[in-house]
Amino acid sequence: MSPKLTTARRLVLSITLLPLTVIGAVVLVVAGLPIWALVAVVAALVIFVWAWWLIGRRVRSFGYVERQDDLLVTSGILFRRLVIVPYGRMQLVDLVAGPIDRSFGLASVQLHTAAATTDAKIPGLPPDVAAGLRDRLAAQGEHRSAGL
Amino acid sequence: MTLSPGAAPSAGGATQPQHVHPLTPWVHAMQAAPVLLIAVVVPLGNAGEFGAWIILVALVAVLLLVALIAGLAYLSWTRLTYWFDGQGDFRIDSGIVTRRERRLQLSRLQGVDVVQPLFARLVGMAALTIEVAGAGDSRASLQYLKYEQAQALRSEVLARAAGLTHDAGEAPEEPLVLVPPRDLAVSLLLRGTTVFLFLLTIALVILLSVTAGWAGLFMILTAGVPIIIVFTEFTQFFNFTVAKSPDGLRTKAGLFQVTAQTIPPGRVQAVEFVQSWLWRRRGWVRVRINVAGLSTTDDNGQNQSQMSTVLLPVAPYPVARQIVNYVLPDMDLLDIEMKAAPPRVHRRAWIQFRNLSVGWNDRVFVTERGKYVNRIAVVPHARTQSVRVTQGPWERSLGLASMHVDSPPGPVTVVALYREVAEAQRLAQEQNDRAQAALRADPSTHWMTQTGAGDSDEQSVADFAPPTGLPSEGPPPPVEQEGRPAAPSSNDGTPAGQSPPAPDDLRDS
Repeated sequence: MSPKLTTARRLVLSITLLPLTVIGAVVLVVAGLPIWALVAVVAALVIFVWAWWLIGRRVRSFGYVERQDDLLVTSGILFRRLVIVPYGRMQLVDLVAGPIDRSFGLASVQLHTAAATTDAKIPGLPPDVAAGLRDRLAAQGEHRSAGL
Repeated sequence: MTLSPGAAPSAGGATQPQHVHPLTPWVHAMQAAPVLLIAVVVPLGNAGEFGAWIILVALVAVLLLVALIAGLAYLSWTRLTYWFDGQGDFRIDSGIVTRRERRLQLSRLQGVDVVQPLFARLVGMAALTIEVAGAGDSRASLQYLKYEQAQALRSEVLARAAGLTHDAGEAPEEPLVLVPPRDLAVSLLLRGTTVFLFLLTIALVILLSVTAGWAGLFMILTAGVPIIIVFTEFTQFFNFTVAKSPDGLRTKAGLFQVTAQTIPPGRVQAVEFVQSWLWRRRGWVRVRINVAGLSTTDDNGQNQSQMSTVLLPVAPYPVARQIVNYVLPDMDLLDIEMKAAPPRVHRRAWIQFRNLSVGWNDRVFVTERGKYVNRIAVVPHARTQSVRVTQGPWERSLGLASMHVDSPPGPVTVVALYREVAEAQRLAQEQNDRAQAALRADPSTHWMTQTGAGDSDEQSVADFAPPTGLPSEGPPPPVEQEGRPAAPSSNDGTPAGQSPPAPDDLRDS
């Protein structure tokens, strides 16, 4: 995965957690509970550092291998996952890029089979790589389409 | 009417657009009437002393509402037409304000139901529901036809889906099993859910009658007591019969609303034998199935979807196996050697640790789990969508991992819980190989590879990740990707020193 994914996710973490912490602290101070405000800020900081560290590991945990007959995807740190999807079972391949992803030049590829539980998402690819992967997967899928 | 497409009869068995039965609006109105009557009159009767004329006004209001429903139903009746088009698909045009033209590809047919709600049944009418594979709303319902007409249309749909000529006639039925109502009732009573619902009902009744007195009691009676769910299930599966016919397995059940369902051959994606703890002495099981398109999150109400996923509400295990043999032929469940999970699994699964096992033969993959509700799930290799290995923190601390076989949405989950990590990975890789081999061998699919079995199939998962498994910490900082974009060795997803072979290596090996 592109290391920019780490930056992007840390940015998302910052812009969600930090304002929340500030608002929470202000509310607690106004409510006359400055000690609790301090506790909340410390807790938020601990979570922030932990999540910051976890994001780095989690992004590094994503991996995929295009094998001859199937695609293998791994992900996760706390909850680890390895998915094997035969090309013949792919029903559609999504290429998704949200606004933050786009600003970092990232895109993710997601595979869908008839089973909703097939959770094969490859995030944080450079757009051209993602598009190439999507095209190869789609071609393989069409080639070997096996129906249900 | 706006009927341009398919209006002219053409070659290929196309038919003229047809309306459903003209009495349909009346049936709709009559079905709505009792509900409306109860909804309007019951609160009034409770409110009491306003005099009879209020009730009269209410009755008139109900009548007007019923007339309104009948009028709307008549409008939609004039706008609803169905026919078979020249390409062998089933077409339905409907809608008063928003026009909707549906085209159901019969080659993707998953099931056909003939449903008879109570009132429709009294006047000899039935609705036909056609389900094709697809996400979301992939079913179409024709309300209402004469019962014989519905049956004829059902066999025509099935015959066309099977590629036969459309006048093949009704396929003969051969009854296999009838679930005696007494067994059904006993089985429903001997369930943890029933006990729970019963206690909940008692608690609710006591709570409400203490806090709100008679009004509370009345409230709970009109809102419904939880135990009613069990009764509903009883009426739903009443006189459950399974029959065999050339166009698939047929089930039929219902006390008030009778539903007859046909599952064409090869549509069942996975099967599960469920046994409640109290059923064990009698050797009873319930059989549930996954069929693509019949997900439980259906927008047509729970009744139908639950009906569709139960192949047999209760039966002795040998009988259930026999029935399942009709939907998944030659699977010889008894010959499969089940491998238990490692002994230390009792530290992860305190209750069900003796009941976790996995096995397979050359056609199906089988997993077992659960002590108080024992579930044996069966998935054919040819129906394996994908395989997964997952590991949560607790499992990792014990060196365990779970292996899943993904199946289309439905009640059946196929998971080999808590295996040794290396074993789980081996299971996943081997199941993937078996699934791919089955796909290549399956004549019912269009597997069009030019090459034979890939060499990469020989690669085991262990080559991609070490026994500790799924990628863990400590990789070197990511290398900027050059050349082949998908080269996994530059995707720092694996531990240092154990980088997976590049795809090129795989292809060359």
